[in-house]
Amino acid sequence: MRIAILAASTAAAFLGGCGGPETSQANNAQANISDSASPAAAANASTTTNGMAMIAAAPSKDRALKIMHDRHEAMEGLGKAMKTLHRALDSSPPDINVIRAQTALMASAAAKIPSWVPAGTGPDVGKTRAKPEIWTQHDLFVRKAKDYLAAAQAIDAAARTGDANKVMALHEDVDKACKACHDPFRAREH
Amino acid sequence: MSSGARANQPVWDLPVRLFHWLLAALIAFSWWSVHNHHTDWHIWSGCAILTLLVFRLLWGFVGSSTARFASFVRGPRTVVDYLRGRWTGLGHTPLGALSVIALLVAISVQVGLGLFAEDEDGIYMGPLSRLVSSDTSDKVRDIHELWFNVILGLIVMHLLAILYFRLFRRQKLTWPMITGRAALEPGVHPMRPGKWWVALICLLIGLGITRWVIAGAPPF
Repeated sequence: MRIAILAASTAAAFLGGCGGPETSQANNAQANISDSASPAAAANASTTTNGMAMIAAAPSKDRALKIMHDRHEAMEGLGKAMKTLHRALDSSPPDINVIRAQTALMASAAAKIPSWVPAGTGPDVGKTRAKPEIWTQHDLFVRKAKDYLAAAQAIDAAARTGDANKVMALHEDVDKACKACHDPFRAREH
Repeated sequence: MSSGARANQPVWDLPVRLFHWLLAALIAFSWWSVHNHHTDWHIWSGCAILTLLVFRLLWGFVGSSTARFASFVRGPRTVVDYLRGRWTGLGHTPLGALSVIALLVAISVQVGLGLFAEDEDGIYMGPLSRLVSSDTSDKVRDIHELWFNVILGLIVMHLLAILYFRLFRRQKLTWPMITGRAALEPGVHPMRPGKWWVALICLLIGLGITRWVIAGAPPF
């Protein structure tokens, strides 16, 4: 009898781990609406801050907060693209159009990344996970961004051939390029 | 004298002790790895914990007497008896047993959540995350992060209880969990040891189920 209770509660614990998440699906729809805005946000950030990083005076507080917000949205959009890409690569057969849309977003966003972090948009200004090292080791940051650009362009070129296997062969390079820049330059989530 | 406590009697078998210390080490390692850019190690650590949990669940039915759930999962009356000082026995006390069950359940939930989670960058995916949508997977990761606080709370209680026994009851609980041996109160039955080959079968089943999970739980 006691064993039965225990077995039931343990089973419930395991099922809880599996069944729980499904119920939260509906709640997420709302949270992800913002993702559709991220490419636009990315474009916005790049046009307004392009090339200003090293020369111009720090942007006004409002301007800086706007840049930081847009940057956050754009990065979240890139994360979303990665998730969609990996799931698309996993499904059989992989939907090449879905894959192409993600790699195109990555390649176009990658080119803009250095422009997303003008001086004066660091953690001293507002809530951001951008570490001060982005500005104190700016050359290294730019190099990592370039590595990511190269990886993103390569995988996008592979996607445009229409061969999912070629994309598959390159996705780990993109993973590594993301991580190589996040590890030193992005702070933990709070 | 027959009323004297018998020293150095077996109380925790080797599988229980290995389970305990490996679990403690893997939880610490899981925490460290995920906070130090080693999400891949974190996922492997979680899979190792899954193996341990499956093993422990089975060993709780077919293991040594002190490992069996039937020997320590008791109703509230036993807990009350224990609190009034009317309980003698070997292994988990009725109150300690509640803590053990809470820890096992909380850690099981945590592993279950981790299996369905994906990291925020879409680089790492839990072995079962493909069975749910990306949005669900992200939500699961959020709960996975929050749930760790539940485990931390239970670990703190666990450690405080050990400290309490050490300071106020003059009972060392850590040493028996290392050596497997403790003094036995008079009139208490000694531990009935389980069989090593049964433990091996439990471990193999644990490894088998974990491999199946890592493979994405085919055919689902």
